[in-house]
Amino acid sequence: MKLEGEYIFDGPQEDVWELVRDPDVLATALPGTQSLDQVGENEYEGVMNVRIGPVAGVFSGRIVVSDEVPPETCTLTVEGKGKPGFINGTGYVNLIDQGDSTTLMKYDGEIQIGGRLASVGQRLFDTTSKSMIRQGLETLNKALQARIAVKTGGGEVEYKPPSESEFAVAVAKDMAGEALSSSRTTWIAVAVVIVIVIVALILINLGGG
Amino acid sequence: MTKKYIGKRIKRSEDPRLLTGEALFVDDVEIPGMLHAAFLRSDYAHAYLKSIDVSAAQAREGVVAVFTAETMGDDWQPGPPLVSPPPTVEDVIFHSRTQVPLVKDKVRHVGEPIAIVIAESRYIAEDAVDDIVVDLEPLDVVVDIEKAMQPDAPLVHDDLDSNLAAHIEQEKGDYAAIREEADLIIKRRIVIDRGAAVAMENRGIVAQWDAKSQRLTVWDTTQAPIAIRNGLAARLDLSEHQVRVIAPFIGGAFGPKMMMFYPEEMLIPWVSIKLDRPIKWIEDRYENFYATTQERGQVHEAEMALTLDGRILGVSDVFLHDSGAYDPYGLTLPLNTQCHMMGPYDIANYYSESKVVFTNKTIVTPVRGAGRPQGIFIVERLLDLAAKELGIDPVEIRKRNLIPPDAFPYEHKIIDQAFAPLIFDSGNYKPVLEKAADMIGYDRFVKDEQPRLRAEGRHVGIGIVPFIETTGVGPYEGARVTVEASGKINVATGVGTQGQGHFTSFAQIVADQLGVDVRDVHLVTGDTAEFHWGTGTFASRGSVVAANAINASAKLVREKILALASKVLEAPEDELELADGVIRVADVPRISISLGELAMLANPLRGAVEPGTEPGLEATAYFGPQYGAIAFGTHAMIVEVDPQTMMIEIKRYVAVEDCGTVINPLIVDGQIHGGVSLGIGNSYYEKLVFDENGQLLNASLMDYLIPTAAEVPRIEIGHEETRSPLNPLGSKGVGEAGAIPVPALFAQAMENALPEYDLEILEAPLSPNRLFELLREKEREL
Repeated sequence: MKLEGEYIFDGPQEDVWELVRDPDVLATALPGTQSLDQVGENEYEGVMNVRIGPVAGVFSGRIVVSDEVPPETCTLTVEGKGKPGFINGTGYVNLIDQGDSTTLMKYDGEIQIGGRLASVGQRLFDTTSKSMIRQGLETLNKALQARIAVKTGGGEVEYKPPSESEFAVAVAKDMAGEALSSSRTTWIAVAVVIVIVIVALILINLGGG
Repeated sequence: MTKKYIGKRIKRSEDPRLLTGEALFVDDVEIPGMLHAAFLRSDYAHAYLKSIDVSAAQAREGVVAVFTAETMGDDWQPGPPLVSPPPTVEDVIFHSRTQVPLVKDKVRHVGEPIAIVIAESRYIAEDAVDDIVVDLEPLDVVVDIEKAMQPDAPLVHDDLDSNLAAHIEQEKGDYAAIREEADLIIKRRIVIDRGAAVAMENRGIVAQWDAKSQRLTVWDTTQAPIAIRNGLAARLDLSEHQVRVIAPFIGGAFGPKMMMFYPEEMLIPWVSIKLDRPIKWIEDRYENFYATTQERGQVHEAEMALTLDGRILGVSDVFLHDSGAYDPYGLTLPLNTQCHMMGPYDIANYYSESKVVFTNKTIVTPVRGAGRPQGIFIVERLLDLAAKELGIDPVEIRKRNLIPPDAFPYEHKIIDQAFAPLIFDSGNYKPVLEKAADMIGYDRFVKDEQPRLRAEGRHVGIGIVPFIETTGVGPYEGARVTVEASGKINVATGVGTQGQGHFTSFAQIVADQLGVDVRDVHLVTGDTAEFHWGTGTFASRGSVVAANAINASAKLVREKILALASKVLEAPEDELELADGVIRVADVPRISISLGELAMLANPLRGAVEPGTEPGLEATAYFGPQYGAIAFGTHAMIVEVDPQTMMIEIKRYVAVEDCGTVINPLIVDGQIHGGVSLGIGNSYYEKLVFDENGQLLNASLMDYLIPTAAEVPRIEIGHEETRSPLNPLGSKGVGEAGAIPVPALFAQAMENALPEYDLEILEAPLSPNRLFELLREKEREL
């Protein structure tokens, strides 16, 4: 399964790179993350508690970063597994300086999913993952604003990471606005779980860079 | 025997209990001290098992035990093959690789069990499953059967040279020679995909080891309780008499519950003995999609040779058959496909080659239809294409090729699923085809109605498909019939029952033999403590093999009754009659004795009997047919397709069946309704979609579509009766018949409904999505 997209951060390339390589920021931006640790020079492990709707369980992810060219690109190899199934994937992330103090992030990857993620969730995987990633990146962008504000001495900008439920609500709204006409709320719940996992891995990957 | 009940539409006597929730199902079994099992199953389709750590699971409060292949020790053994390869065919290749209780070294399909957790409740057991840390090293996955046969394909079984599980060729006449003389050759690649049986009740097992009596009792949703008992006794090193297997009421089986042994079926009794506690495991719907067997995946390269006037000279077909990760069911399915690829037609030259292929998917065993729908789909598709090419009406081309009534018994010179010569015992195909055409108003529809509807811009098509079904195969079944002191009759037989109406139809046979009210005949099925000889409920054989065994034992009891009554009433046997629960002198009805009184006289408590006398009015008898009986029929339907939404409406559905003597037309109708419903699913809704990693993408009833009341039309049924000469009742099976012709019928009717697209449907199942794609492809071509 292919996963690709892009997002514009309101900040310079160096700051974005710094942000996304900070596991602590990512952990707060991603509700449910229990830990995100560097276990080797280019290796990270994260544990995430997924507990939304009918599906619950601990998901653990392991990322290897390679072909790193700061502050521009890196390749990530991901293995994640937990009760909802497993994910294996390779992703490529590219940060492009737009020249106007904004940074374009492009990402694309090949992902294999298995277990309940695949067999129960695949129907909405595509649409919901886009919404989830967008919400996750929005959160990161807010964190970026807070950092830049502190750095430039322009006063504090409050950054409060969303709770698990706030995050889920935001994603559900995003999906409802985009494509989903179904009122099957259980599906949204399942999809939200899945995509949180995807976002987790993508964001964890970025952190690794 | 008077025929008071046989052939009558009698309501099913078991239904009040079933409908009011009073019938016992496996999940109803509750035993004090019972523990519950849950399985850790693989999320990967193909992977080496590197390590398992169950310590956290074992430490969880409420967990009693966790077992893996390693901790099973020497008790870990691969399952026995269920069906052996055929000994009578030369050059057959068969690699037997059977399922294992728990994965030891390598996972071969998603859902394969890796560990079993036993806990105080199912909730705790499932939570503990999550505590297990398992390290699986993923391998490249074999999903597609054609790719599986490529030289560089990953191997499902490392010790084999390829993924070839079996290879069998069959030949009749000389196809290669006749091909040279043909006016027309129709050659196509035809693909049939996988579906699930989706019984309403999933599998379930309760096992209770009683250490004091040294007996094991197992409640199991199996179609073959006796085989399970014998196999368990062998595996667990017990005497067969120490093991009692009960198959109580079962909410549908459709073939997959014939699979022996499922890993769970072996493990739950083993754990019960090991822990000396009753254990329950009930499969959930998600497990059912992975762990219960499935069927149908085949890829055919088929061809038919014909004359200009539409006579079939020969059929040739080379096909791959998906066996899944193991092949415990031997060659039954590819043999059934081979035996149905000539349909009801008189075909002198036939060549068939089948390669059975291992893949990293759930094991394949029969699902209602069992290889037969594929064979019928091939021959009917080729014939439809030939009819179009030759400009012959579809009904007419079929009439020209049907086996004529004076040709029976008709020998096909190939072997069937029982490894016996395929012989069509009896048949009269043309009246059945004509009756179906007549009932649906074929001529009128084609001449008047269809042109009118087309002029209105509507897409309404008609289809008509004759078919045969091999039924009632051996080896044998048995039964014991007893007249009780109350005058009521008790009947015990070995076959299990999963909704077929055995309690009623079998009782009708006995009631007619013994002249009692059908409500006074009580039937016990599927309990090895009651009857322990037999093989099981499969292959549309209950109403042939078990019914004739019951008939034979009732007949023996009737002889005993007459012999004893003759002495008691002092009248010759041929002057006696059995009716209304009494034996009386036909001409002097006041000289009589009730069955109950006679039963007591047959079992005296004091005094002397003549040497050699057997007590009671009881007899046991067996029946094994010489070979299988061939049922047949024709289905027809009118379907409207909306080429905008791809939704369909079945406007008429006609099924004419000839299953020999009909014991209960109401039950036969019910079997046809159920079969057709499954066939509709196989034709337009149900398809198991696997991705390239062997992950099932629609493992829920939200995504896997089964036909509902809205999709299944009213079915108009016609009956013809051509008695089988192979058994005294003259019956043939009908359990699978309804499902067999439906995909072929759908394809024909859909093509007919959409003439402007000039569709060629060479696959089953279709779906609204797939039809959309096919129509778009055609639009691009046009």
